Amino acid sequence: MSDVERLIPYPDRDSALWWAALARHEFVQQRCDDCGTWRWPPRAMCSGCGSFTWTWQPAAGRGTVISCIRTHHAFLPGFEAPYFTVFVSIDEQADIVMPGTWHHADPPQVGLRVQVFFDDIDVREGAPVTLVGWQPAGD
Amino acid sequence: MSAHPLRDRAAIVGVGYTDFMKNSGVSTLALALQAIHAACDDAGISFKQLDGVATHRVGDSVQGAVVLNALGMVDPKFYVDQFGGGSASHTVVGQAAMAVATGVADYVVCWRAINARSEYRMGGTGRPPPDVVEFQYQTPYGYATPPQQFASMASAYMAKYGATREDLGRVAIRQRDNASRNERAMMRTPITMDDYLSSRWIVEPLCLFDCCLETDAAIAVVVTSAERARDLKHTPVLVSGAAWGGGHTLYSNHREDLTTSAAAAMSKRLYAMAGAGPEDIDVGCIYDAFTPLVLVQLEDYGFCAKGEAGAFVAEGTFPFNPHGGHLSAGYVHGINHIAEAVEQLRGNAGARQVAGAEVALSTGQSGYVAGSSSALILRKGEQS
Repeated sequence: MSDVERLIPYPDRDSALWWAALARHEFVQQRCDDCGTWRWPPRAMCSGCGSFTWTWQPAAGRGTVISCIRTHHAFLPGFEAPYFTVFVSIDEQADIVMPGTWHHADPPQVGLRVQVFFDDIDVREGAPVTLVGWQPAGD
Repeated sequence: MSAHPLRDRAAIVGVGYTDFMKNSGVSTLALALQAIHAACDDAGISFKQLDGVATHRVGDSVQGAVVLNALGMVDPKFYVDQFGGGSASHTVVGQAAMAVATGVADYVVCWRAINARSEYRMGGTGRPPPDVVEFQYQTPYGYATPPQQFASMASAYMAKYGATREDLGRVAIRQRDNASRNERAMMRTPITMDDYLSSRWIVEPLCLFDCCLETDAAIAVVVTSAERARDLKHTPVLVSGAAWGGGHTLYSNHREDLTTSAAAAMSKRLYAMAGAGPEDIDVGCIYDAFTPLVLVQLEDYGFCAKGEAGAFVAEGTFPFNPHGGHLSAGYVHGINHIAEAVEQLRGNAGARQVAGAEVALSTGQSGYVAGSSSALILRKGEQS
């Protein structure tokens, strides 16, 4: 895949630190300092209490698959169809649902317990890029 | 409780179509003007009487301002050019209804014009991804196109309620059968369950026939006050209810259940505004970019209980998408559902007419991408 042009993340001023942590293989999430609510994607304000103060906190990187799809049609450059995409509700807070790549020989299924897999993708220029991937939980 | 102040105060009085095509060969501006001109003809007014415009687009169509300039409209009293796809399709007509009901404008034309097959395909193969912040969490994963987004809700829905491919297939088969009676429809040859089950995967669990067509087309509708509508050419179609909102995107930190759409919350105030319930709806034009959307909305608009839409469709008692919808007639991003509802309520739908249709529900995309939805309840009115 390394010689194929693939869309890479384009961090913005809210998300840059999250993407940077992921590239260091750190699974962190924003958490409100005032009410403790987790949130993702990164945003300036807590939608629960309105606070503008938060801390990047390590999250366990574990969750449950709530949906999985297998793309057969090569819509986007740099992907070899078919491939799976999974949607994971994370343990810290069920309403944070994160898409990710799939990293196991067996297909994913709804309800499966999973843990994060740091998916370092090759890019032709610039710093290494890491995506959120998922694999079956090891316990 | 007094009636909602918007109920039955505005009416759709004209509908204009271009053909549904694979390659229009013309600009979206030309398509928009053709549809607008046809809608004015249908209403029996001159395009020079228009004093407001409302459209929506996702970076794929001509600006509203360019269209109103091309119409020669120098002093628009109402102007909406909304960023949004199918979820906004009914919003613009609802906004037009508010404008004419309050006297802000007299005749507002609403349209959607797309070369969705020949120029800007939703599949993302011909253009960069839309300018949406949250796409940074999708495109690097190879996850960005509508069939993928709606496959993700289909996966969750099927797992939670035990819905089957046959449940999805019955939606596609029914709508193709409906399209066989619609002379405008692009795909009119009936399909069988074998055809459905053997068609190729696009994004599991969705196959070819779960996905809508891609169409070059424009449709416009003219909205005016209920009073003015009584003296125009056709039976007026009253806007009894108009609502939008109701949900969250995949990323809004509030959606852990993909099996219920934004319409579940929104439909309650829609029905309340109209003074109607699901039992009053004679025909449904249900947003159908992909088959699972129809199942989820039949539940979320209250026609059957959660998880039971597959069986409800198999019963075949409720007429929905008599035109064939996006799946088989053509994809005009929601406004073709409004146009069909108008034709049904006028009693003008020919071979596909639902007998005695007096109240229709027309819905926009139920909110899996943008988060919010929009819908209208339309009612047959009376001429003077």
